[in-house]
Amino acid sequence: MDKANNHPYDELLAAYAAGSLPLSQALCVSAHLEHCVACGQKLQNLNRVGSQLMQQLKPAAASQQLKQRLLDSLDDLTDAASQREASKVDPAVPRCLRQFIDHNYDDLPWKRVSADIHSVELCRDSNGAKVELLKIKPGGSATTHTHLGDEYTVILEGSFSDEAGLYRQGDFMVKTAADRHTPVATKDRVCICLAVTEGPIQFTGFISRLLNPFIRRSYA
Amino acid sequence: MPPMSKRNTPTDKLAALADCMSRIANERDKAAFAELFDHYAPQIRAYSLARDPGSDLVADDLVQEVMTRVWLKASKYNARLANLNTWIFTLARNCRIDYLRRNSRYATEIDPTDIFNDMEDEGPGPFRLAQQDRTGDSIKAGLEALPREQSDILRKVYLEGKTHQQTSEELKLPLGTVKSRVRLALKKLEVLVVR
Repeated sequence: MDKANNHPYDELLAAYAAGSLPLSQALCVSAHLEHCVACGQKLQNLNRVGSQLMQQLKPAAASQQLKQRLLDSLDDLTDAASQREASKVDPAVPRCLRQFIDHNYDDLPWKRVSADIHSVELCRDSNGAKVELLKIKPGGSATTHTHLGDEYTVILEGSFSDEAGLYRQGDFMVKTAADRHTPVATKDRVCICLAVTEGPIQFTGFISRLLNPFIRRSYA
Repeated sequence: MPPMSKRNTPTDKLAALADCMSRIANERDKAAFAELFDHYAPQIRAYSLARDPGSDLVADDLVQEVMTRVWLKASKYNARLANLNTWIFTLARNCRIDYLRRNSRYATEIDPTDIFNDMEDEGPGPFRLAQQDRTGDSIKAGLEALPREQSDILRKVYLEGKTHQQTSEELKLPLGTVKSRVRLALKKLEVLVVR
């Protein structure tokens, strides 16, 4: 716990508490929260803001029929959530990601992106954002790239550094379309990140620029 | 004549409602459930109508979802760890996210259950308890003291469920202005200072 040095900015955490954040971004915030007590405390306060705002609304009376219908249904209710099987997923996987992962990171159908990077797409959000895991080999580099949209990243395992500094497990980053960066994994171990991209990544090196049309196509 | 009932202060009211929760948990007490319904159903409907004005059926559905979870999860609720009003708000928020996902024009495979279930199933954890009472009243007073332009934006985000982008389009404000107003409001509410 509490290893993270880079946190979601405040208005992003507030949007998470409000439930108005796209689910793909909420996944990243949730993964960060598992490593960050400080943001968890902020979140608790931000939930209280929502609670106060809800209490300030003019109450909208509920009908007696609704009340009776609910009262009549109580005896037949069963909690589906409590009957879910205990998770068999590696506890190192954040809870919010276990819906996509059957056992552990190793068993996923990783695809080679470059000599240093493998990736696996987990899902898409309703706004089209792509949710994927990236695996960078020890000391490996993600080619210099920019993005057409924002990119949200949370480090799940290992660590990497880029022009701006060192990032460790739980660290949360947002890169905008204007940012260029070259992440390099630290040499001692593999780095696994959760990455949410709102538009395709643009590689900016000469050779890798030739890849861009193919990458864009995968967003069609 | 007996002295005026002390049940009139918000704190006593909250204690009475929390007592209903333990009666549901321990005795499956339907009268206690009815008492919670009378207090929270109008709030939950108002919350739903803030996002979908005029949609009474959606509002009733949300009440049904939330109050069903109240009945099923009462035994997991711990009054020492979570303020009941806040717990109900997070249930209403979670149910609304789930409802919107199921009824969205644009499908997503992302299941929100495991993203937002922290409060529902486990409470906020004991380390967050100490600061609760300090922040409860100050948030209320702080909200009342906020400039209108800032509290309006908080209501858009929290009650109407608008993203920053949607808020910026509706209010015809630059996205950066929306974000900075949210930030300013939160700073004034002193909810981001962790001690």
